[in-house]
Amino acid sequence: MSIELLVQALLNGFGLAMVYVLVALGLTLIFSILEIINFAHGEFYMLGGYVTYYVYALFGLNYFATLALAILTVGLAGVIAERLIFHDLRGKALNAFIVSLGLLWVMQAGAQLAFGVLDKPVPSAFSGIVRFFGLIISVERLVVSISAIVLIVALYLFLQLSRPGRAMRAVAQDPDAAALQGVNIDAVSALGFGVGCALAGGAGGLLAPVFAVSPAMGALPVVKAFIIIIVGGMGSLPGAVLGGLLLGGLEGLGTLFMGSAAVNMLGFVMVIVVLLLRPRGLVGGA
Amino acid sequence: MVLIALAVIVLPLLTRDSYYLDVATTILMNLTLTMSFRLQVSTGQINMAHISFMGIGAYTSALLVTRLGFSFWATLWIGAVTAALLAVPIGSVALRVSGPYYFLITFAFSEVVRLFFNNFFENLFGGPSGLVGIPKPGRLLGMTFNGKLALYWLMAVICAVVVVALVRLDYSRFGLTAGAIRQADLVVETLGVNVFRFKLTTFVVGSFVAGVAGVFFAHYRQVLHSSDFGLEPMVLLVVFTVIGGTGSVWGPVVGTILMTVASELLRELHHYEILVFGAVLILTMLFAPEGLVALPGGARRLLRKLRGRAAEPAGAGVAP
Repeated sequence: MSIELLVQALLNGFGLAMVYVLVALGLTLIFSILEIINFAHGEFYMLGGYVTYYVYALFGLNYFATLALAILTVGLAGVIAERLIFHDLRGKALNAFIVSLGLLWVMQAGAQLAFGVLDKPVPSAFSGIVRFFGLIISVERLVVSISAIVLIVALYLFLQLSRPGRAMRAVAQDPDAAALQGVNIDAVSALGFGVGCALAGGAGGLLAPVFAVSPAMGALPVVKAFIIIIVGGMGSLPGAVLGGLLLGGLEGLGTLFMGSAAVNMLGFVMVIVVLLLRPRGLVGGA
Repeated sequence: MVLIALAVIVLPLLTRDSYYLDVATTILMNLTLTMSFRLQVSTGQINMAHISFMGIGAYTSALLVTRLGFSFWATLWIGAVTAALLAVPIGSVALRVSGPYYFLITFAFSEVVRLFFNNFFENLFGGPSGLVGIPKPGRLLGMTFNGKLALYWLMAVICAVVVVALVRLDYSRFGLTAGAIRQADLVVETLGVNVFRFKLTTFVVGSFVAGVAGVFFAHYRQVLHSSDFGLEPMVLLVVFTVIGGTGSVWGPVVGTILMTVASELLRELHHYEILVFGAVLILTMLFAPEGLVALPGGARRLLRKLRGRAAEPAGAGVAP
């Protein structure tokens, strides 16, 4: 087996993994602020996909403008969901988890009723391939990965530099201490949930042209995101990136040796191994 | 309790309509599952892989009967024991973590099981098209368990045994310990209970019961598909259990009967069905997190509070 083949397989794996990292970052951000696991996170991703379908594929708006719109719309939907449903469930992991299962059904069935059950194809915004050093990458995948990385960096800068971002980190560390310093916890929770969902919406917009748009499209990325945040450590943003790289690399290499069904199981095997060795994840705290 | 037992006995006298018998059998099967699920919830675990143990029981029995010619009456035990045996290592891994990690690792495990049934050993498990041609249970002690009515009685007996055992367990020291673990596991640990082993016991017992239900399911439906043990039926199980209330052993009974009937009534409108169930789940958790069985008690408390407040001003002047 040549080195090129290996590198190519790794690149294939990393390409989509960056988008799954976006989904995982949203999930882990929400967990760090509200201490809840949102099982319906994939449905916000699905919402982003539908925005892209209607605005970009049908209405014909510019792809990147559509992406921005998807991020904003889904972010708003997230804020509404937090205000209406998750707000009172902060820290009640069990109840919040069950509620999110209900939300998953409501959103999926709602999408089936509103948009129909059939897959809706979204035309690719970019065509062609790039070659360098004997490696082949499609322009579309390249744009998707780079956009995802840009969004990850933007999230990092937002959390590090902006006031609301710093407030989120403060609440994640210690809600009581943050409140004593004058941080408005209610506003931060709503905003954090919104930002988390917005990331999922952006990921949905990015992958809509790669896969088709359908009511059940959220299942695959959310499962990958779960794997990523368990492996990386829940609530840890660097952990999510590391988990994503590991998962992408593992799946990319896996395709060289086994069928797609077995590759899909690799991630779960990784989860079980990591939880056995480091129950809090690779980057997770004590 | 007596009422439900009476209803179970009277129902077949009232109707021989195969549709009603089918619904009643489904209720009893679901009840067996939700009761065993609640056993784990009572210690604070939401085991998202519960349905997988039902699947393990179902596939074990189906394969032993169709491939090796085993009798259903033997595989009823073998399937359940297999589920329980596999629950020991899986539970040992999953119970190392708690809270959100536990939901996710059990969910990850259930996906592994589902993908395994769907994609591996296609000539055994039937792959994406499912496993077909599973025979009905057949004869035992001169009785033939092939018709709807006979299968209903069989499920009723299985369910009765499970319910009686689990209710007795819940009212025993075991149930008290479970409740204590859910509320404050560290305190229970310091009082000398091995919390890990206790939780593992509930996990294994629950999986055994799920395995029994799975074996019955396989030979009742006669067709198995990996999606029967996926996320959707698992969430349904959570809905059934939680809506009735997990604090009481009667919660799943109320929830399962109510929701299975509702599910049948809403069958015509599939998309609306899960829409309604999802909304009901959210509303229950937000406004009555203790479930429906806690509502009468809650209402009584509220009434007493209201009456107490009305009585207070009257008594205030008399007191010394």
